[in-house]
Amino acid sequence: MSDTDTTGALGEREAAEAGGELGEDEVSDVGRELGEDEVSSAGRELGEREVSSAGAELGEREVSGAAGELGNPDAPADASPDSAERPERAAPASAGQAVPEADASTPPAPTPRAPEIATGRTSTSTTSSARRSAADPVKALMHRHRELCERAVDPLEIAAGLEAHGVTDRTAVRFRHRDVFSLAEEMYARIPRDGETPPSPAVDRTPRPRAAWALLTLLPGVLCAATVAGIRLTDGRSRLVTALVGALVISFAVRAALSRGPLGAPVRARTTTPSTWTYWLLAYAALGDGLLGAAVTGGPDALPTGAADAPWPVATAPLLALTLSCAPAAWAAHLFRARARRKLTASRGLEDFAASVRPLLLGTFALYLCALTALLALTAAALDEPAPYAQTLTLGALLFLARLLTTHGFTHAPVVVLIAATTAQATALATTFASRLPGCAFLATPVNALVDLWGAAGIQTLSCGIGALALLIHATRKLTRASAHAQEEPC
Amino acid sequence: MDNRPSRHRLVRIRSSRCEPPGQRRLLIREIGGALVRIGLLTEGGYPYVSGDARLWCDRLVRGLEQHEFDIYALSRSEHQEDEGWVPLPPQVDRVITAPLWTAEDDGVVYGRRARRRFAESYGELAAALCEGGVGEASGTGSVGSVGSTGSAKGSGEASGVEADRFASALYGLAELARDEGGLVGALRSETAVRALERACRAPGARQTAREARVPDLLAVAAHLERALRPLSLDWYEDDGLGAVDVCHAASGGPAALPGLLAHHFCGVPLLVTEYGVRLRTHYLADSDSPPAVRALLAAFHGRLATETYRRAAVVTPGNTHARRWQERCGADREKIRTVYPGMEAGHFAEVGESAECVDPDTLVWVGRVEPAKDLISLLHAFAEIRKEEPKTRLRIVGAPSGPEGAAYLGHCKALAAQLFPDEAEGLHAVGDNPVSFEEIGGPELPSAADAYGSGAVTVLSSVVEGFPISLVEAMFCARATVSTDVGAVVEVIGGTGLVVPPRNPKALAEACLTLLRDPERRERLGAAARARALELFTVEQNIAAFHGIYLDIVSRTPVRRVVLDGTGEPLPFAAPAEAHVPGRWTERSTRVVARGGPGWAAGPPVCATPPFAATEGAPG
Repeated sequence: MSDTDTTGALGEREAAEAGGELGEDEVSDVGRELGEDEVSSAGRELGEREVSSAGAELGEREVSGAAGELGNPDAPADASPDSAERPERAAPASAGQAVPEADASTPPAPTPRAPEIATGRTSTSTTSSARRSAADPVKALMHRHRELCERAVDPLEIAAGLEAHGVTDRTAVRFRHRDVFSLAEEMYARIPRDGETPPSPAVDRTPRPRAAWALLTLLPGVLCAATVAGIRLTDGRSRLVTALVGALVISFAVRAALSRGPLGAPVRARTTTPSTWTYWLLAYAALGDGLLGAAVTGGPDALPTGAADAPWPVATAPLLALTLSCAPAAWAAHLFRARARRKLTASRGLEDFAASVRPLLLGTFALYLCALTALLALTAAALDEPAPYAQTLTLGALLFLARLLTTHGFTHAPVVVLIAATTAQATALATTFASRLPGCAFLATPVNALVDLWGAAGIQTLSCGIGALALLIHATRKLTRASAHAQEEPC
Repeated sequence: MDNRPSRHRLVRIRSSRCEPPGQRRLLIREIGGALVRIGLLTEGGYPYVSGDARLWCDRLVRGLEQHEFDIYALSRSEHQEDEGWVPLPPQVDRVITAPLWTAEDDGVVYGRRARRRFAESYGELAAALCEGGVGEASGTGSVGSVGSTGSAKGSGEASGVEADRFASALYGLAELARDEGGLVGALRSETAVRALERACRAPGARQTAREARVPDLLAVAAHLERALRPLSLDWYEDDGLGAVDVCHAASGGPAALPGLLAHHFCGVPLLVTEYGVRLRTHYLADSDSPPAVRALLAAFHGRLATETYRRAAVVTPGNTHARRWQERCGADREKIRTVYPGMEAGHFAEVGESAECVDPDTLVWVGRVEPAKDLISLLHAFAEIRKEEPKTRLRIVGAPSGPEGAAYLGHCKALAAQLFPDEAEGLHAVGDNPVSFEEIGGPELPSAADAYGSGAVTVLSSVVEGFPISLVEAMFCARATVSTDVGAVVEVIGGTGLVVPPRNPKALAEACLTLLRDPERRERLGAAARARALELFTVEQNIAAFHGIYLDIVSRTPVRRVVLDGTGEPLPFAAPAEAHVPGRWTERSTRVVARGGPGWAAGPPVCATPPFAATEGAPG
């Protein structure tokens, strides 16, 4: 569009020039343009004191240039000897450092000395374009740079955009402005603003569920099922080997499942892989209750056999249910993240956001617990074991919340709570065994009281339950913050 | 005091280099020569192989071998760091780098007091960004009329207050980072986002800021965290930037931020050189963000630029265009000194000096091929020229830049083939096209100088141009030029070439024809252009200008440091008065002059020797 404009203007000007005459009206036009307009704008800028000198100087210079051109239509040829002689004189001034005083007092003319052709051409085309859209040249310019104007947040942005489109100070003179900046200011002021701008279409950058992590989260459960089956089918030495190998493989699978996808830690907290504490808690879930029960009654007398009715019973159902619940956990975390992002784009204030994310968080949490309950019921039925709902659900809640917090960058609280739960369980076991030492029987009193009250499972339920509650409260405070859901941007 | 040269010769300046930095300082002061220790601050720049302004900085550092340079470089990406550094001359004392592309959270969790300090400072910063900007205030006031004096003054005062607010917030954050650390984590924290929200919702906030939504706030907070990373650096100690005499920021924006802080903490004067205005680059680069984000970030960069210009002792734009932007952003005119970029004139000396030209009917265009160069209009202009002067040829020399440039080059070639079909002389002769596309480095044009030398007139047809390097090269080659009136073209060419409006093939054609038909004028313009280029755009003038500015700054704003002796007592008169005398009056300058080397190294450099002599004598 701009090209056609320019060529159109040119055609007109060239036609006039080809005729070899610059009509009377154009002479006056040029004079008016360069003289009065410059003087007045310069005067406006400079204030009263400097008007006379600066105005006179500018007007004189520009008008004489224009007159020179008018007198001799072949201005370029006329100008060249002059220009060839002048550089020595002109150069120091244009370097801009030799004469700071002069520079400070004169208005910032576009250049120290505009070359002859440029002045001539610009002024001539001024007349033609001014004649075509004499009423409001700026409006045409705004129309041409509509997009730039609409998205500009301040005048300088328009100025930068205009300059990038080749508008210079000399072009700005055509619009009766001193420089691009004042032209941009006018354009910025004239942008129609109708109150609220429509919210820009939110870029949905929610990570899509990927097959890779979806499969990876299934892996620990599958491996655990295989291991349990192996333990059931073998016996003696090979059972031990199976159990050990199974534990090793499951730990690798869990690590892999938690390394990416919605359960993966963010880049800035890369240090947190599932910790020793997690493994301890899982081990306790499988073996701890049995051990504690046996210890309280004076056992254990033999190593666990893997059977639920042995003197040291092993609870494989919670372990299997927890490892299988990696997949629902990942989906719940993914859901939470995606929904939170959507709420983030939709909400106007931080309070809004917090209020809308809180139910989401609790809903996600409940969803996971439901899934875990269902899995536990299934596995218990399949393995023909009693289903220890309280212990498993509290442990699952604890681990899920810890992971959720970690993935959002809050690594401190989960570690502290996990350590606390582990310590509580270890202390319970240690005191039970220590009470067998002569004179230390009092050590077992609290544990015995608890076991009497709630059974051997009470310890685990209590430690994990308190931990999970603490983390839940912590999460409702931290995960409802907008800063927790800031996207990691590659910079 | 005994200032005889013999007295000075006893102390070898260079020998101080092998001592630890703390003692070296003392030695320099004792010598009394005006040796300046310059802290060169770069961002994604000099010592890195892929740095931005690396050529210019390299020439500067190599050219001022009598001074010492400490280079403080911020790297822009991991890739850049992996690529390594350019070889450094011995006057570079040390190079200290820090990444801008990543920030380690140091794990410091603020206590209550520190958190309150942070919240206060950050809130101030946010408020300064959200306040109705300068542009907004004056823009709404004056529709149609060019900013009247009253509103300009009013907005000027308002911007002064705002700038103070911004500055105090910035330095508050910097002090917090220096005292407590942990700024990276704090800038990402909820406290920061809350402070931003409060500032955006406050009465008097600008319209665009008021519309900010939560994702916008988060984006702004993340960007501010990135932009304020230099605050967490440990450079602002007495053995870091505190030990230099002048901080020279090689660009505005992030590179100048350490300089600002050094000025704040240690009183080191700051010199800011901008060949391209960072603020403008920011405006052009930031495209896709929502308006609220762009408004706040633009406010941040604008305020930072203003603060930089306010604190800087001297601001040196590379051309009038940059100068205008700097003035617009609040740089004091008395501080601004335009220092044109320097270019190696040696390569072009042979072509520039030789009188005859290969082909009087050839036009040459040299540059990187990209749409902004508007070769289409050049081809159309050439078509006009061919109508008048059928013998004329056009050589387009240059490689395409990027895939866009390659596509554009293909387009241009197609157009050239369409406009000028090959003209075979006979049935079996190979057709010859008057337009040829070539690249420098081929058998015909081994160097850029040959490209310019092969034609009578050099043409520049760009629609957008910063500092037109190819034009300066053509001037060095003493070629008459026809260029479009864009960017810094007019100030570069002065009166020594023809300038036409951009996007105007007819005007371009006319100007070219004028020159093609007038060999005498061509020669005259070429000679004038070469003289002008040698005066303004040589490396030597660039280095001499910076040399003078360094000494000037040091003499005007000496860094007063208390020098301690071995037992920790203050050492009176450790820094003698003549330590700040500009110019060197010891044996070094006489030696340099006697050797006949570049005259700018001696004494007050700018006006001591005519630049011509210096240039002609300069090697390569």
